[in-house]
Parts: sequence; C-alpha cells; structure tokens
Amino acid sequence: MSATTPSDVTPVWLTEKSTKETVDAELWHGIVDKNLADWEAEWIPDLQRRLKLLNQQKVERRFWPQSRHWDWREKLREIERRLANLSFAIMVEDMTQAMMTIDLTKRSRMPGHEGQHLVYIDFLEAAPWNRNDLAEEPAKFSGCGSILINAAIQQSILEGFKGRIGLHSLPQANSFYANACGMTDLGQDATYENLRYFELKPEKARSFIEKGKGE
Amino acid sequence: MTFDINKAWCQNAGARENSLDIGAGVIAADPMFTHEGGADESPEASRLALGRFINLMRRDQGLSIEALAEKADVEIGDLLSLEKNANHLPDVRTLYQLSEVFGVSQEKLMGLSGLTHANDDYVEEAVRYAAKSASVEVLSEDEHMILNGLISVLSENAKKK
Repeated sequence: MSATTPSDVTPVWLTEKSTKETVDAELWHGIVDKNLADWEAEWIPDLQRRLKLLNQQKVERRFWPQSRHWDWREKLREIERRLANLSFAIMVEDMTQAMMTIDLTKRSRMPGHEGQHLVYIDFLEAAPWNRNDLAEEPAKFSGCGSILINAAIQQSILEGFKGRIGLHSLPQANSFYANACGMTDLGQDATYENLRYFELKPEKARSFIEKGKGE
Repeated sequence: MTFDINKAWCQNAGARENSLDIGAGVIAADPMFTHEGGADESPEASRLALGRFINLMRRDQGLSIEALAEKADVEIGDLLSLEKNANHLPDVRTLYQLSEVFGVSQEKLMGLSGLTHANDDYVEEAVRYAAKSASVEVLSEDEHMILNGLISVLSENAKKK
C-alpha cells in the first residue's frame, strides 16, 4: 500500500496556457494514495474521453498516445519496497498534474561515461489535460516535464551522480528531450520497444537547472 | 529534503516546454510501436498539398504566419513546419483550429496530413491543385484560381466522387 503523505514538498510553478499566468504548484516527493486516486478517478476517464474523440475523428491508432496502457498503481506496487526507486508528483489545486518514477541502479551508456551511475527515469507522464497529442483540446498547464527533469537532475546530484540522467522517450516527446532539455540521443533501443534512449551529461544538467533561474 | 527550483526558472521552463509532449518510459506490450512514429509512412505529396493550401489561404487573407497562429490559436512553429516540411506530422488540434478559421473540413485536412486514412479522391485532387502553384509572395490570379479549387475540394460539402 502506498503512503498517504509525501515525504517532502517543494514549491513549484506551472504556466496556465490559456492565460499565460503562473500558478502555484507543489512537487510532491513520493507518489501517494491521493495521486493514484486522481489517476483512477480523473486521468483514466479523461483519457478515455479523448481517445473516443480520436477514434470518432478516425485518427489511426498508431498516432494515438502511447502511454495509454500505463498502470500507475501497478508501477507503484512494483517499486514501493525498493529503496533504489523514488517517485514524484506535481499538484495544482489538489489535483495531480504529472507523475514520474526513477531508478537509481542504472548506469550510463554514453560514450566516455560508460558505467557511471545515473538516475534513470522509468516513467514520466502528464495528466491527459496537460498533453498536446490528445484530440483538439489545448493543454491546460505547461512546465510539468521540465520540473520533473529538474527534480531528477537534483536527485542525481544528491546521489553523487553529478546530474546524469537517462530515459527512453516516447516518440512524440523526442523533441522535448533533445531540444528543450539538451539530452543526447543515443538512438533507438531494440530491447525497449524501439524507443529512443537519451542521456544528459553533467555539464548539460548544470546548464539545464541554472537556465533562466534569474536572481 | 526539498529541491531548489525558483519561480523565474519555472516560468522560463513553462514557456520553453509550451507545446512539447513529455512522456517517457517503456510502452507496455503495445505491438503498434515497433517503428519510428509516423512520418516515414505518411503521404509526402498530400502533406505538401496541405502545406500549400495553408500557405495560399494565409496569404489570401493577408496574414503573416504569426498573425495566423494568433488567429487560429496554434503554435507558430507548428504552422511553419506545416507549410515548409512535408515530414511534419501536425497535431489534431492544429488542424481542427485551421479548419475552423478557413471554413473547410477538418476530416479532409486530417486525411491530407496522413493522420487519418483518406478513402476519397479529394487527396489526389488537392495534390493536383497544389502542384500547379509556385511559391511567390503575392497571390497571382492563377493562384487565386488554384486556391478556389482547393477550397472547393476541401470544403465539407464537396461532392463525393
């Protein structure tokens, strides 16, 4: 059974796309019961509604969002007793906006960094209403992906991994990881459903968390 | 222990992320995704026709790409790619918004883009019209005729052959 409260809460901010206003949000350290309840009661019905729209518009299945089979309750059950796995969620107005799980046991594949520890992002997903690939409705909030990547980098630094992170990107997100995050594309991985594998080097990690910080 | 993430950073990140999707992780046993997403299997000619149609409509209405993006509430980058890059797969929402602004069929724009499988002759006809146009700054009389032809092919009420 998952926890009922997060171990820590970092204040963060998202951008409401329709107004371009900044809204107060929270980064929860640990996915808890509330997040799984939101996933079941809000994410899944909303995703089904949007898939129905795509189907009605006759969009081919290969262009439907790929994360629709993910089962967050099952994922959390798998990792809840493992110390080397951590999870995070972003909250706005008492609703889960995005979730991520990470694994601290993986090693770098990057040439010149092979064998070095990194934070591997097992899963990262935004709520259906924050996505651009689902029917004609615009996304509500932007910034969830960047905040979760920032969290993964800071966790990597805390673990002594110098900010190194790695992940397998869903096809529609390749541009985000390559261009917005500055990750290195190490190509398609035949052992991971042919998803592209990306890694972030320590210097790029520092640059990512400092970029636009101001002050 | 909390992290150091300040408001200015989040505001910049929100602007940078904007229309990009962010999902990561292994797809759970979904046999559909054993290949790269989309573009390689999509009809390049019909995407060129779609890009040409948008270019002509935009110029006919005297709009810059920026102005059309604002009018249709879509991303500038998506519009640019739609007009210039036949490998670009647009969002469903972008095509929906453009169909509303231009008063043509969303279903047909999606067919041209390759997002849906088009069963009608309109794709071939639209490609034929688009192939007749050349890229110039101001719409010539010929281009007006071509645009009118494209509009009639892509409108909701176009006669099915």
